[in-house]
Amino acid sequence: MSMWYEKYGKDQDVVLSSKACIVRNVKGYNFSNKMTGSDFDSLLEQIDGAIDKTVTGNVWAANALGSGNDTGKSLLTPESQLFGRNMYIIRDPNHKRIYYNDDAGLSIVVGSHEHLTIRAMAAGNDPSVYNKAEKIATGLERKLEMAYSDKYGFLTSDIGVVGTGFKMIYTVAIPAISKSNEALAALRDRVSHYHWDIYPFAEQGELGNSSVYILTNISTLGVSEEEIISRGKMLLKDVVQFERTLREKVATKNKTQTSDLYGRSFGLLRYSGVISRKEAIDALGWLRIYKEYDDSGEINISWEKINKLTQDVCWEFIPAAKRGSTAASAIRASKIKSILKGDD
Amino acid sequence: MRCARCGAEVTNKIIKINGVIYCEDCVKELGYDRYLQNPEELLGAAFAPLDEIASSFAKMAELDFGNSALACPKCGLTLREFENNGRVGCIECYNTFGELVVKEMFRQQGADEYGGRAPGQGLIESDDITEEVEDGAEEVKEIPATAESEEADKKEEPAKNDESDEKKLEKLSKADIGMLTDEELTEGIKLATKLEDYPLAIRFRDELKGRKGDE
Repeated sequence: MSMWYEKYGKDQDVVLSSKACIVRNVKGYNFSNKMTGSDFDSLLEQIDGAIDKTVTGNVWAANALGSGNDTGKSLLTPESQLFGRNMYIIRDPNHKRIYYNDDAGLSIVVGSHEHLTIRAMAAGNDPSVYNKAEKIATGLERKLEMAYSDKYGFLTSDIGVVGTGFKMIYTVAIPAISKSNEALAALRDRVSHYHWDIYPFAEQGELGNSSVYILTNISTLGVSEEEIISRGKMLLKDVVQFERTLREKVATKNKTQTSDLYGRSFGLLRYSGVISRKEAIDALGWLRIYKEYDDSGEINISWEKINKLTQDVCWEFIPAAKRGSTAASAIRASKIKSILKGDD
Repeated sequence: MRCARCGAEVTNKIIKINGVIYCEDCVKELGYDRYLQNPEELLGAAFAPLDEIASSFAKMAELDFGNSALACPKCGLTLREFENNGRVGCIECYNTFGELVVKEMFRQQGADEYGGRAPGQGLIESDDITEEVEDGAEEVKEIPATAESEEADKKEEPAKNDESDEKKLEKLSKADIGMLTDEELTEGIKLATKLEDYPLAIRFRDELKGRKGDE
């Protein structure tokens, strides 16, 4: 079965993914940062009894690590995006459990920063992910008493998410905007009007200042879930339009150069024996910019593949000791090659 | 507007000292209140404010030191830990650190009042939607089963077909395009064109064209 992000999504030329993330804590227990092992076991038992296994029937637990369990092994690939960047979620794996559905688009993480982290993820621009996450959240709220106050809403360990505990997160690939400091400044200004935030997928390291950005709501207090979704929709519409306009300008104004960069970028991805993450993301950026304007018919790469490659490169897990090494770059190049085989 | 020292909302009187906004309580604690009551005292003793500022720094240092030892009676989290990590350890911390938590909420989010839904109440089950459904159900009961209504039912059929077309197209659009058969792609092109989803129709067409090219 293909993973959630390998599917078609609306506005997929710009929007890589839509994610709704809702956090909750169960009343009667300390938050995760002050919880003992026996508390966790007791909490897990309660939560396990409340989770609807017909929705999120697969389970990842510490004992799946290295046990030969196929499900555990297949999830230990970076593609699932269940484990967070650099797999932060499975640090201290004995105090974590992940419930997820078959395409990993719905998941419940127990024992991360908050007791429960409910995620719904979909390819492209799809605000309906909120409804999916909310359905799971309300189901759990009816079975478990959550930490809640009428004044502050759902209480969390992280003061930055107290209230609705809801973050709407859009990952966007905006190579045309990010090539111009002025355009990026204008975008930041627009984003702040909606009281949202925009930041690069990575601010430093191999992917520092790449063309992949995250858009997310700042506030979880003083604003309702509906308003967050509505502002997000309006903002995303602006971002998509802005990026497409700039792509058109870049592609048509300098057609010869852009066409050349498009072909070179595809060649780099398709035939390199060694490729860094930055090179790969830059090349994918040129494919995005020129794909709709390529009339040569020589390159047949689909948006699904461009998005899959972008997310594979962004979310790949490399142990710290091997980051930037030739061996890691060779594995990456080989994987990209195998995905692009037959597209030229 | 909020006091820069304690985070409390300043409602009655805005007091600005050296460009910093304080509430009346903090002004009193810092010892500035007598100058507010008798401003001429300030003019009469030029060096007094400097003394006051120095002693208030000392007071603030003591206060900081004292607060750092403050700990939640339930989970044991100290104020210093909270200040360093921005995280609390349990529900009781919200009471223990009270105004400091509110101040932090306000700093991070620009608000400190909840505006979301209550536990167990989803947006998709809001009262408005329920009312609409109920109204609709009543209307159905009142319509007599006449020939006219049968006519109306017939007229609605194309709409139902459109709905099922939409579902079919949605299913096709969400599937892995590489796994679709040629027949499914052809159907997808027809449906997408009918429902005016031209980018999707183009996508299906390109995939089909690509396959024929491979042959």
